Amino acid sequence: MSHLFDRENVDVAWCPGCGNFGILKLIKEVLEELEVDKNNTVIVSGIGQAAKAPYYVDTNMFGVLHGRALPAATGIKMANPNLTVIAEGGDGDMYGEGGNHFIHTIRRNVNIVHIVHNNMVYGLTKGQASPTSQKGFETKVQVNGVSNEPFNPLAVALSLRAGFVSRVSIGNAQHAKEVLKAAFEHHGYALVDIFQPCVTFNKTNTYHWFKDNTYTLDEGHDDSDFNAALQKAFEVMPMPLGILYQDKKSVLTFEEHIRKSEAKALYLNTHDISKIQNLFDSY
Amino acid sequence: MTIDELKSYDGRNNRRAYIAYKDVVYDVTQSSLWQEGEHQGMHSAGVDLTSALSGAPHGDEVFKEFPVVATLQREESTTKKEPLPPQDFKTDLRIFYKKYHPHPITVHFPIALHLFAAGFDIAFLNTFKEIYAVLVFYALFIATVMGFVAMLPGVLSWWINYNLSTQRPFVVKLIVATITLILGVIAIEIYLQDPNVIYSYTTPSIIYHAIILLTGLNVIILGYYGGKISWGNLGEEKMQTVSFDMNEPNIMMSSGSTEQESPRLFSAPASSVKIASDERNLADNAHQVSISILIGGAAGLGIDTLEKILSNAFKASGYYVYSTKEFMSRVRGGSNTTLLRIANFPVQAPCWEVDISVAMDALALEHMKERWHHDTLILADESFSGDNSNVIAIAMKESAKKFGNAQYGNTYIAGLLFGILGLEKSFLLQSIDKHFKGEGSNKEVAELGFQTGTEIENLTLPKLPNTDIKAVEKLHLMDGTTACGFGFLAGGCNMITAYPMSPSTGVLNFMASMSKEFDIALEQSEDEIASLMMTLGGWYGGARAMTSTSGGGFALMGEALSLSGMTETPAVIYLAQRPGPATGLPTRTEQGDLNLALYSGHGPFPRVLLAPGSLQECIDYGYLAFELADKYQIPVIFLSDQYLADTIMMSKDVDFSSYEQRRYITKSAGDYERYADTKNGISPRAIPSFGEGLICAVGDEHDERGQITEDYKMREQMVGKRARKNDELTREAIAPLCKGEGDIAIIGWGSSKGAIAEALERLDDKRLEHVHFVWIHPLSKEQLSVLDDYKYRIVVENNADGAFADQLKLHGVHVDEQILQSNGFSFFVDQLVEMIEKSLKELS
Ligand SMILES: Cc1ncc(C[n+]2csc(CCOP(=O)(O)OP(=O)(O)O)c2C)c(N)n1
Ligand code: SF4
Ligand SMILES: [Mg+2]
Repeated sequence: MSHLFDRENVDVAWCPGCGNFGILKLIKEVLEELEVDKNNTVIVSGIGQAAKAPYYVDTNMFGVLHGRALPAATGIKMANPNLTVIAEGGDGDMYGEGGNHFIHTIRRNVNIVHIVHNNMVYGLTKGQASPTSQKGFETKVQVNGVSNEPFNPLAVALSLRAGFVSRVSIGNAQHAKEVLKAAFEHHGYALVDIFQPCVTFNKTNTYHWFKDNTYTLDEGHDDSDFNAALQKAFEVMPMPLGILYQDKKSVLTFEEHIRKSEAKALYLNTHDISKIQNLFDSY
Repeated sequence: MTIDELKSYDGRNNRRAYIAYKDVVYDVTQSSLWQEGEHQGMHSAGVDLTSALSGAPHGDEVFKEFPVVATLQREESTTKKEPLPPQDFKTDLRIFYKKYHPHPITVHFPIALHLFAAGFDIAFLNTFKEIYAVLVFYALFIATVMGFVAMLPGVLSWWINYNLSTQRPFVVKLIVATITLILGVIAIEIYLQDPNVIYSYTTPSIIYHAIILLTGLNVIILGYYGGKISWGNLGEEKMQTVSFDMNEPNIMMSSGSTEQESPRLFSAPASSVKIASDERNLADNAHQVSISILIGGAAGLGIDTLEKILSNAFKASGYYVYSTKEFMSRVRGGSNTTLLRIANFPVQAPCWEVDISVAMDALALEHMKERWHHDTLILADESFSGDNSNVIAIAMKESAKKFGNAQYGNTYIAGLLFGILGLEKSFLLQSIDKHFKGEGSNKEVAELGFQTGTEIENLTLPKLPNTDIKAVEKLHLMDGTTACGFGFLAGGCNMITAYPMSPSTGVLNFMASMSKEFDIALEQSEDEIASLMMTLGGWYGGARAMTSTSGGGFALMGEALSLSGMTETPAVIYLAQRPGPATGLPTRTEQGDLNLALYSGHGPFPRVLLAPGSLQECIDYGYLAFELADKYQIPVIFLSDQYLADTIMMSKDVDFSSYEQRRYITKSAGDYERYADTKNGISPRAIPSFGEGLICAVGDEHDERGQITEDYKMREQMVGKRARKNDELTREAIAPLCKGEGDIAIIGWGSSKGAIAEALERLDDKRLEHVHFVWIHPLSKEQLSVLDDYKYRIVVENNADGAFADQLKLHGVHVDEQILQSNGFSFFVDQLVEMIEKSLKELS
């Protein structure tokens, strides 16, 4: 199938069979189906295997540093609130190196879609534990198995009152697409944590493992119920997939607050020089 | 590419045609003048034409039209330099030459006499009068002798000042001069053989007259090229020495159009420095009077209020005001001081010893002791004045209590000082009214203090002369922070993201207050890494963004700084320095972060460092920071420090309409490439949603599209592209400002400008010249060569490592002496005078 968002002439750097291919396809399809204007869209990514995704999507992109996609995305929204901004990266990128930004971007409620490829491992640096690695996971570095408590992004996001908190698995692409679309439609910060098998460096958390240890939330879950969501966020084995929480009330976003009603792109602005002159002269 | 590789691009058989010039390889395939790799039947493509160009009928400007494809790598042997002649002898000669100009002095004789001879020979040929013949011969004879005399210093000058340059004018001059001398000797010989032969129509006679006329022509050619060397842009042309004034704009903004593709900032770097009328020189030195007042007390006693009331009142009374603070890193208690100086000339520096010392508490009295001289008038409340006979006990607390509020102690002191100085009371009362808006009994307390002040016997304080109140009224009283803020606003700053850190927070506060007046996006970030990342996001999205921080925060920004370099995303970073390492002295000052600013960030990339030293420079260079960042797509680091940030000085009127509002943003076409390779390395910068194209900016090495690449050729190409921006920047460097005519340079940078300037005024030593740098990096070797002309160079820095002197040395400047200080204070003018005297002694 031909996609509007395919980028030509690229050399895809992923291993065959990697879950990242599914996520790439998913993103391109969602952008196309939602009729997003590619000139008006920016994907900001950090560094890692996951963070390479935007190189293969035909939109604007800003590829920054390991862990630093979120503040860059925040800056873009400040400069031009009219842009559709996506921040994308891996679990190490977003929850490890960029952990502090994760916390504060949620607190700010920047109107972006935050996509995290969660393969529970550091892919690009060849297989060390990531913040989401399960206890006991053995690697060349964690030779006695991981002893740290896994990072729980959903619970953290909820405790910071994120307006949209979700988790999907690329093993169930159809469901993932529905959730990702809802994230795009949410007004404010939206987290989509995507389980993605790393076929090369994570022989524990495979396609099968994800299938066996997750279940999809059904109508029985009220995604406007904050307490229920918090409870779901702590559920393990199996872990719930779907939109855990969604605040449909229109909450003021970060850029609406700091740019006030005037959300004009800053490049269109110049200051009124006579006003600067008057202010200076008052000294 | 190497010379061998270059050979294969000879333009024949549909191969591409490349030529090299000064280590840069240009693609001339498309040029109609280079068909089949041949140029004018003289040159072929595939070779290095650097030396051939000197004989070409055009200069190197022709290369500008060709795309650059690579740089030329030479084998070691071809680039090896001749050992330079001994530096010191040459320098001495150069100084001698600068003063006496032996070649121009002597060269006028032969020129005039040859022309004289030619003129009278024409007269002779028409009349055959003997008197003309004699005149012609003697003129020729002296002209030739003087020709030898003039040629000697000329050749010497060629060596000393122009390093035996083989540029066209020098070569022409040498050849023509030699020919003229030989011809002169031949003609003299012919005449001496037989003076009568010149009347005849014989071969010797024809030769004789031809020589007379030809040498007349020769000297015209010599004069023409001599002029070109002296006044044209040739060789190591010496930088103009310009005088400067604390308050005058130093940058002249070019009135270029707002072209987007090829933005221009300055017409020509060196000439863009405006020569200002120097107000300080106009004032008669002998009549410069200043009085210094040091007020000490614990934090929380309201010294800041006192400072504000007094400085406004002094200004209204027609005096120049200056005030600077020294405070401890605590919100209450401790012992802080504020130094006020009032004068009838623009004061720009603190002094250590003070004329009046006011203690608000006992600790302050102790704290200020060191700064008293013989005649310091010391004022302290009677409750702690003790039995020191030098201290005048005042009833500050008692009077304040009388009016029911201890806070009135401030206003009492304000009144007291006005009374002691014998100033007009109404100016103080107006200032108090303005500050307190009529609240409480402040005016009454001030009047009481004033009354007491007039009664204090004061025999030693100089009398402040009357001033032009109207002239001072027009000046603007503000601190360095505010001036920088106005500069950034003038530069179009419309976004700031920062994490609070003394002493940089003032700029964040200023911008926050301005965000109520202008459309400015502002966020306090979670850390400095986020600060700079947001700033970069802002520029990527189209804002003119900045961040403010101090050393510690800047250190955290290192990786993001490097990202700015690699992605060619502009950034302006206001770095207000304080003494380190680590937390150091959080509220004090130092110029200690130069190396940090210069070397932070991994991998080489172009950057600019600017360090203002006066309010005017804060504004001019604040504006310039945004222009340079935008135009060159680089990080610009703006170095201030606690001293400059917190010191209140007076600024002249500033015409903000002269700061052109330019934006270097291109509307993208559908096939837009973010990193399109260009001659000067600057790719047109587009932003998302403005135009048809997509903007791919990346921190990995990339191709022109902005796709990740590991292709080694592309890597080299991109490294070269980024480096060329640095070359271009170096050409735009703003030369240091020189003031004075001496042969000993006192070199400073950034915030020490005022202290050095006043110290030199006090020293009043004709040998000394002030050289002040604001443009710190990249330094231009050409501009620095002016420093070679001095006999000695003394570098003054408020740090322990002498980082700037190191930069000068790195660029081949000899540093004779260094004056360093790192005690947390800025330079005090009286102490600096002594330090300079000591250095001078050491040199002699
Ligand atoms: C400051 C910094 N530290 C470390 C690295 C090395 N590094 C690159 S990617 C990565 C982790 C990748 O893991 P993740 O973000 O989960 O992405 P994945 O490759 O698994 O998709 C690390 C440690 C870096 N690029 N920058
Ligand atoms: S290393 Fe793992 S995450 Fe990276 S491409 Fe290969 S399979 Fe995918
Ligand atoms: Mg990972």
